[in-house]
Parts: sequence; structure tokens; C-alpha cells
Amino acid sequence: MSAPSRPARSSALPAWRWLSALVLATGAARASALELSMWVMPVTTNAQNDIPALIAPWIAAHPGITVRVTVLDWESGWNKITAAAASRRGPDLLELGTTWMPAIAAMGGLEPLSAAQLAEVGNGAPYYPELWKTTQVFGRRGVYGLPWYADVRAAFYRTDVFRQAGVDPAQAFATWDSFHAALRRINGITVNGKRIGALAYAGKNDWNVVHNLAPWIWNAGGDMLSADARHSALDTPQALRAIDFYSRLAVEGLVPANALEKDSDILEGAWVGGEYGVIFSGPWLMRRIFEAPPGSGVRENFDVAPYPAGPHGHATFFGGSNLAIFKGSRHKAEAWDLVKYLGGKAPQVRLSLLSSMMPARVDAANDPAWTSRHPVFAKLTAIAADGRAYPPIPAWGPLETVYTKHLGQLAELTAGIGDKYSEPAMRAMVHDTVTEANKVLEEAE
Amino acid sequence: MTAVTEPGLGALAQPHAPARPRRRRKVDAFPYLLLAPAALMMVIVNLVPIVQGMRMSLLKLNQYTLSQFMDAPFVGLRNYRGVLLDPANPVHSGMLGALRNTALYSLLVTACAVSIGLAVALLLNRDFPGKALARTLLMLPWVVPTYVVGTLWGFMWQRDEGIVNHVLVDVLHVMDHKPFWLIGSNTFFAIVIPTVWRAWPVLMLIFLAALQAVPEELYEAARLDGATAWQRFRHITLPALKPVIVIQVMFQVIDNIYSYNIVAMMFGKGAGYPGEWGDLLMPLLTRQSFSYWRFGEGAAVSFVMMAVMLVFVAVWMRTFRRSMTDES
Repeated sequence: MSAPSRPARSSALPAWRWLSALVLATGAARASALELSMWVMPVTTNAQNDIPALIAPWIAAHPGITVRVTVLDWESGWNKITAAAASRRGPDLLELGTTWMPAIAAMGGLEPLSAAQLAEVGNGAPYYPELWKTTQVFGRRGVYGLPWYADVRAAFYRTDVFRQAGVDPAQAFATWDSFHAALRRINGITVNGKRIGALAYAGKNDWNVVHNLAPWIWNAGGDMLSADARHSALDTPQALRAIDFYSRLAVEGLVPANALEKDSDILEGAWVGGEYGVIFSGPWLMRRIFEAPPGSGVRENFDVAPYPAGPHGHATFFGGSNLAIFKGSRHKAEAWDLVKYLGGKAPQVRLSLLSSMMPARVDAANDPAWTSRHPVFAKLTAIAADGRAYPPIPAWGPLETVYTKHLGQLAELTAGIGDKYSEPAMRAMVHDTVTEANKVLEEAE
Repeated sequence: MTAVTEPGLGALAQPHAPARPRRRRKVDAFPYLLLAPAALMMVIVNLVPIVQGMRMSLLKLNQYTLSQFMDAPFVGLRNYRGVLLDPANPVHSGMLGALRNTALYSLLVTACAVSIGLAVALLLNRDFPGKALARTLLMLPWVVPTYVVGTLWGFMWQRDEGIVNHVLVDVLHVMDHKPFWLIGSNTFFAIVIPTVWRAWPVLMLIFLAALQAVPEELYEAARLDGATAWQRFRHITLPALKPVIVIQVMFQVIDNIYSYNIVAMMFGKGAGYPGEWGDLLMPLLTRQSFSYWRFGEGAAVSFVMMAVMLVFVAVWMRTFRRSMTDES
């Protein structure tokens, strides 16, 4: 009776064992496949596909490692990253805006690079020094990542507008005075049936309030912070002079009042649409110019120039993003390997071609693949030599909010409604800014 | 007859009658059992965060202590003193202006939304062709999410390209020049009007439902007595709607004091500061606690607001308790 059942049992047992072996093997395979988690910002319009494509060569060279890319957005990314830093639970590696990095590093959210790792990347020598500075925390030792790509600002101007007004661009962007004179000459002329507003910059409802103003302050010999980064320096005579000059461009109508209620995104679209003569923007604007319909006039009639030189030079704002290893990562060695790869020349050039953001490495920014793509990119590389970043203090985030909140209100004065602009009114506004900023900085101590 | 009823009545007096309370106790426990999961969720979702928030308001919880979270340094009531009394405190900065704006905004939006909602409900509370379609179309603003309302009106208020100035100046010729709505003191109206635009339709629907419950006989009797339309409204409609109006006004005030989305979407691209006349308490609180990383002080302001709202609700409920419970 039991005999017939035995063969059945003996035949079922090997099947069960096979199944178990298969399950174990799958589990073992899973255990050996290492997955890195990477958080990035939408640096390209299709980052969810572009970033995996960018790191595909590294994946091919590292069998057994996969990378899960999560694309955050700039609005919610900050909250997600700070929550991760506070809880120590997050990705293995991540992209951080240059002004975010010191704050997250100071929270203990990032793994500092070792001396050996720093040696592998030439102690930062291949990168723009101003960007390399943003991988550190002001006044402390330690480097927390590698620069990945750069945001450099320049004057984008319409060559046809300048030509029609008889203004030589080389002269126009030479000094503040010549810039002012050039704006007056191009303001209000009609080109291609459109009345041209000389200059476009946004008012209070914009994330670029501080970045737009900073180069003017630097070029006047002022600064955003005192040398020890413990106090706001916006009330120095140099900074006040710059704020006054910048504001008066709007008061005089050289910045049309309706620009002051818009944000940078809308103004860039309007500039591409032929409404303004000059706008200060970054390399991403090239994407919009390339997308402009042929024959729109702008594609064939634009160029870039450095900021007009003030009494102390023509520095420009230098920002962008860095890559860092998350403190809580359990795969720091692999994460570093990927960070190092992405910090290399070839991937930086490739990312720049995908994104129109400038490479953070000097050699990549001078690579013909980047500079020959359009003459403007070569000019941006040249302008970047005068790039300047904010001091990498952990309190920059709150400080920038204070600056943006108050300096954005200049639009309330310069738009010509309510309290009219005056130097005392501007000084009072700056005084409020400095008072609140110093309180934020005091807290940081 | 008595033979039929007596056993039942007599059974109540039987010695084994105490069995009944036991049955009753079982029946009483059942609803609590059903409510238990919901009550548990309320505790988890509401009570625990409230207690945690209360503790946060007593901590020095900022950018530098966030990683310690609930173990951040205890500072007692210092956060409350700072945000309420210290003019140099960044969270305090602009709070009086935001308080003034929030009070005016809440009053104006509530008054306008309730008035318009009631007026349109009265118009719709009569038969006319296409009534159902009109009612549906009028509900459309309420269907639009507040963040979309903020974004859309942000475009509509633009001085030169916005449709509002186009209609006011070019079409209706109500004004001779195009004013700024997003800069200067007009910012206040730029946030009030979209809020009213979105709020009144749902009030209209609620008032309409309440109006349809008013007996028609009351109006007929009033007409026979020679009451005018205003007298019928004053002495029949308004008293009948009073319980609904009282509760809706309370909800509106609470909603408007906690209003955030429209301001945030219209002015949220920079520091999130709409200017002296556009800042409300919730955007201020969000900006100056989250953007400034002053979470302890932010929690303190939240609790002050919550306390103020609790007092308001208690006073309101006490004042209008009879109106809310009185069927007449």
C-alpha cells in the first residue's frame, strides 16, 4: 500500500529541493546585486532618462551594481533632503545646490572626503576654485563632495536691437555708465514690430532676486557678508551704491514696470519672444533660444557679454550643483566611485551637452565639444573666469530668504506706486534687511 | 386582554429580571467597539502630532539642532516670548502686518462670500428653465483647486497682459489707466477677490439646500398678510437660515484665517513674501519657520494661533448656541 506512494514522494522531493535551490539562488543573486540610490535635481528636461544614460558607462564597468535614480524638484527637494539628513535615512549619493551643501554638511548629513579620495581628484585642482569652495563649510576643515555643473550668469542681449539703436555692444557692457547710456538708447525703440524694453529683471516674486543683485554689489566693491561671514554687508557704502544704481534702472523706466511683477521664467520667455533688449541669465537660456522657432529673430540675433565693469571689476554669479555622499549610506565606497566618475571630464561634458548647464571642471568647460556647440558657450566659459560664489556658510539658506524677502520689496519702490523710490527709502529697506539678516547669522553662532 | 399583557409586565418584576442590564451592557459596548478604530486613528493622526508640536514649541529646534529633533535643547517659553514680544526676532518680523491683513482678509472674504452665496441661492430658489445647468455652472469655481486658483489669478492680475485690467480699462472703461495688482496695496485685493470667487459657490449650494427646506406655506401666509419681499426675507428666510449661516460663517472665518494656498501660489516663487499688504499669517508662519529653519518658534506661533481659534470657536458657539440648535 505504501509502496506506490514512495516513488511519488521520492520524485516530489527533488522537485521541492530544486525549487528551494532556485529560491535561494535568486535570493543570493539579489543579495549580491548592490543597488545605489541617487537623488538628483531636474538638470535636464528628461533627467529620469538622461541621468541613467549618463551613468550607463559606469554601470557597465561595475557589474553587480545598479543605480536607482530619483529626480527631485527644486521646490520640494530641500525639505526631502533636510528630512533625510535629520533622520540619517536617505540615498547613497545626491546632488545638492551649491548654497545648500554647507547647511546639509553642517547638519552632519554628508560624508567628508578622505585625504586619499581628495588625492584621487587632484585636491580639487581640475574644478573652478570658486565652485570647489562650495564643497566646503566656511571656517571649517573638510570637503564634502565634487562640483558637478555650473550656473554662470551673463548679459544676454539682442544684437539686432543694439545695431538698430547704433550702440556698440563692446562699449555698452564696458562700464556701468556706458551700460546705462546704452539702455537709454535702446529703450522704447521698435524692432520687428515690438516696442523694446531695455532691460528685464524680476521683482519680488522670483528666486533670482539675490543672484541678480549680487554681481552689482561685488562689482561696486561690496559684498553679501562681512569677511568673517558673521554680519551682513549690505549696508556698506559700496553695496548701497550698487543697490541704488540697480534700482534706478527701474525707476528710470529702463526696466519696464510690468517686468517687476513677473518671475525670471516668464521674463526669459519674453526676452526670447523679442520684448526686451537685455536680460541677465544663465546657460539654460540657450535651451529656450534653441527651441525658439526659426525666423523668430532672436536665434540669429543674440550674443552674451560679461556684467558691465563696476569700480571693482566685472564678477558674475557662480552657482550650480555638487555631488556628495550621504552620511547614512551603507555603500560609501561605491557611491564615491560614482561621484568621482561623474566629476570626471567626459561625463561633465556630456551632461553639459544634455542640459546646457556649464561644466564645473575647467578642462571640460574648455572642451571643444562644449565650446564649439555655439559661440556663446565659449564666451560663457570665458566669463566664468570671473565667477564668484557666495560664502559657503550653513546659514546661507535662511539668509538668502531674508535677502530675497526684503530686497524683492525694492520693486514696491521702483514700480512707481505708493512710496516713490528715494535713496533714504532704499537705505531704510536695507537697514531692515541687515537687522534681520544679522539676527539669523547671530543664531548660527 | 389582561391575560395577554400581564405576563409581559409581570416578567419585569420577576426575580430573574437582573439579566436585562447584562444584555443592555453588551449592546452598549458594541458602538464603542465600532468607534474604537476611528478613535485610535484620531489619537494617532491628531493627538500625537499636537502633543509633539506642543513639545517642539518648547525646544530650541532649528537648523543646527534638527538632527536631535525631540532631544533638542529645552528652552521653556522662550520661543513664545521671542515670536510674540521680540521685534528683532525674524519670526516676529512682519507679524503685526500679517495679523492686520489676516483679520481684514478674513472679515472681507467671509462677508462677501456669504452675501454672494446667499443672494445667488435666493435667485436659484425659484423655478426657471435651465436651473439645474445654472447651478452646476455656478459651482465651477469651487471645483478648481486653490493652488490652481492662485496660479491662474496670478496671470489674470498682470498689469499689461492680465485679463482683469483688459476688462476694466479696455472693455468697460471703468478706469483710465491699468493699475498694478501684484505690487503695492492692491495686493490685498488680489488675494481677497480670488478667495471670494472660489468660496461663494459652495455657500450658495448649502444655503440653497437650506432654503428648500423652508415650508412654502410660511411664504404663502405672509403674502396673504401683505408682507413685502423684504419682510418675507427678514422674518421668514433669514430666521430659517440662521443656524446654517451661523455655522458657515464660523467655518469661513476658520478657513480664511488659515488661508495659505492662494497667496503661496501667487507669490511663492521668491521668498514667498507678497509685500506689506499681501502677507497673511499662514504664509508668514510657513516662510519664517520653514525657510528660516526656526521650527521651535514656528510651532509656538502655531499654538498661539490654535489657542486664538479655540477661543474664537468657543465664544462663537456660546453666542450662537441657541441659533445653531433651535430648529425654528
